[in-house]
Amino acid sequence: MNGAHLLAVPLADYIGLSTVLLFIGVAGVVVRRNPLIMLMSIELMWNAANLAFLAFARAWLNNAGHIFAFLVITVAAAEAAIGLAIVVVVFHRAKFVDVDDVTLMKG
Amino acid sequence: MGVEGTYPLLLALWLVPLACAIALWAFGPQLKTAAGPIGAGLVGVCFAMALFSWPEAVQRARGTIGAHITLFSWGSGFDFGLLWDPLALTWTLIITGVGFLIITYAIGYMEGDGSYPRFFAYMTFFVFAMLTLVLSDNFVGLLVGWGLVGLASFFLIGYYLERPTAVAAARKAFVLNVVGDVGIMFAIFVVVTQAGSTTYAQTFARVGQFSSSALLLVCIGLFIGCAAKSAQVPLHSWLPDAMEGPTPVSALIHAATMVTAGVYLIARCWPLWNASADARELAGAIGGLTALVGAILGCVQWDIKRILAYSTMSQIGYMIMGVGVGAYDAGVLHFLTHAFFKAQLFLGAGLVIHALADEQDVRKMGGLRKQMPFAFWAMLIGVLAICGVPPFSGFFSKDAVIYGALERGHPYLYAIGALTAAITAYYMFRLIFVAFFGPYRGNVDPSDLGIRHPELAGTPAHGAQAPHAGQAHEPHRPGAVMNVPVALLMIPTVAFGWLAIGSNSPWARFFDQLFLGGTSVETVVPPIGEGLSSALVFALVVIGFAIAYLRYGTAPARRASVERLRTESVRMPPVLANAFYFDAAIDALFVRPAQLLGRIFGGIVDPLVLDGAVRELVVIAVAFGNRFRTLQMGLLRGYALTIVIGVVCVIAYYAVVGASR
Repeated sequence: MNGAHLLAVPLADYIGLSTVLLFIGVAGVVVRRNPLIMLMSIELMWNAANLAFLAFARAWLNNAGHIFAFLVITVAAAEAAIGLAIVVVVFHRAKFVDVDDVTLMKG
Repeated sequence: MGVEGTYPLLLALWLVPLACAIALWAFGPQLKTAAGPIGAGLVGVCFAMALFSWPEAVQRARGTIGAHITLFSWGSGFDFGLLWDPLALTWTLIITGVGFLIITYAIGYMEGDGSYPRFFAYMTFFVFAMLTLVLSDNFVGLLVGWGLVGLASFFLIGYYLERPTAVAAARKAFVLNVVGDVGIMFAIFVVVTQAGSTTYAQTFARVGQFSSSALLLVCIGLFIGCAAKSAQVPLHSWLPDAMEGPTPVSALIHAATMVTAGVYLIARCWPLWNASADARELAGAIGGLTALVGAILGCVQWDIKRILAYSTMSQIGYMIMGVGVGAYDAGVLHFLTHAFFKAQLFLGAGLVIHALADEQDVRKMGGLRKQMPFAFWAMLIGVLAICGVPPFSGFFSKDAVIYGALERGHPYLYAIGALTAAITAYYMFRLIFVAFFGPYRGNVDPSDLGIRHPELAGTPAHGAQAPHAGQAHEPHRPGAVMNVPVALLMIPTVAFGWLAIGSNSPWARFFDQLFLGGTSVETVVPPIGEGLSSALVFALVVIGFAIAYLRYGTAPARRASVERLRTESVRMPPVLANAFYFDAAIDALFVRPAQLLGRIFGGIVDPLVLDGAVRELVVIAVAFGNRFRTLQMGLLRGYALTIVIGVVCVIAYYAVVGASR
């Protein structure tokens, strides 16, 4: 039941793009200090995961991957909402634009 | 045991004093001086109810005697009910009858006291507690009553709250009584393991199945309770101190009723005592020892109430000796006569104390015969009864106890009993001669009488309320409300013993019903007859009287009473002044080791071991936290990097594992 030959673009290319997107997102989270950019980077990682799901779903003719993609979008939306809410609340209190200035959890 | 029924009168008899106590306690401030007549009247009503219930107590049916009410049950063998038989009847009549007279007397005695209703609430509560003790049909109810009378005693000994000595005495009495409660509790545990029940009926029916060691344990446990409540050596030392309470309390609780609870318990548990010769030996020996020790210590007291307290201890020693060796009828008869004559002695002493503005030291009395002839005659009749002078009631009961010990094969107890009778005559007539003959010494300087610490000797007045404290005070006469009860008590004091003459007397027939034809302890044929024995004991009593007369009663001795009392006070042997060092011994053996243990636990074990362990745990947790808290760097990007590194590690692991497969 391998449907990889049905794909116009080889599966490896999808996975490669997905990996690149993931690492761009990781780099964005680790390197950037603006919380909004960090949230965008996280979204990028979600999309990398979605791309992998869809590519595998098509390659293996298994619709579970599509369903998972929808779930991921939902979770990503919720995550973005919570993340932005945190950013807004913390911004009201501290007027920050740099996540390195928020160190309340420092032991 | 007993004919089952509802018996509303009996239930009312039990609960009316409780209702009365609650009412007097709750509405005391409104009732004020009405509290006294209400309390006395209701106890009198209880006495009438007990008299009306007499036929139920002696009814016989299906091999049982008396009446029984089942109130509730905790399961088979663990019922709670009231048992109304000749023994319960005897005690109830004394509790309510003598109690009625004493509480009536207290109406006059406590007049002008600041918390008058509280006193009567406590007194009626005591009556309820004592009735619970004697009416219960099982050991648990007995223990409840046992504890409640201890509580009532605690309240009443410490009635004068502002007096530190009274509060200390109350605490001492309570602690020593709890020792006895614990003894009874352990006896109940053993009874449950052996009989599977706590009711008297089922326990006594299975006495034959008790193992001999269990039987002895039960008897010892019960006897510890008796010893604590009935002031037997070595748990007696609370009783003299209990005289800190008001005199009517001493008369009712610490002479007539509560302290005889031990006698009741042994008489109630006669099947156990019949079955255990060791228990009889123990109870007889301790009773005899207590009789002797109490009498000896009674000879060296100066406080009129302490003299009577030691004589109470001595007389209860007789009773315990009587019931302890198996002469139950004699022991209980002595309880009855003692309740009358000792209540009378205490009330007579109360008349004197009341008239002299709370002076209790006999050295400061003297010559009261002329000012207070009624109190003198009341005291004299009581003294003749307690000494066992025929035809007064004490003669018959005391002889029955002493001879009963001989009949049951305890000649040494007979000797102790006879000797104690002589000493009793000595110290009681010493009291009469010192307090009622010779010159009045109330105006003599206390130091001339050998009273070293006037403020400590005897008991000071009712705190701040005493009107004449510290002033010279002329004797005055108390009113009829105090005299009439004393006069009424004289009747049984004089005549009650006549009911017990001979082996087929009304008393013997009444009491023998309790055994339902069962036998008491086997007897031996005594070497001397009862008539000869009585004559011998009476001769000893006369010798005791003669010594007291020669020392205090002759005309030259009366004239020289001040010097004699001073000499005697100053030259008191320390062993007697310290009451044979019982208090010191208890202090050294139990109190101080317990305090030391408390200091060890409070000063070392608790802060170092228990608290120390907890503190050490805290220190370890803090050190651990300090070591690892730096992992939390607080940087959001740092956490992200940690996650990334973790993910990389997981991937690397699977890459390596996958490659090696």
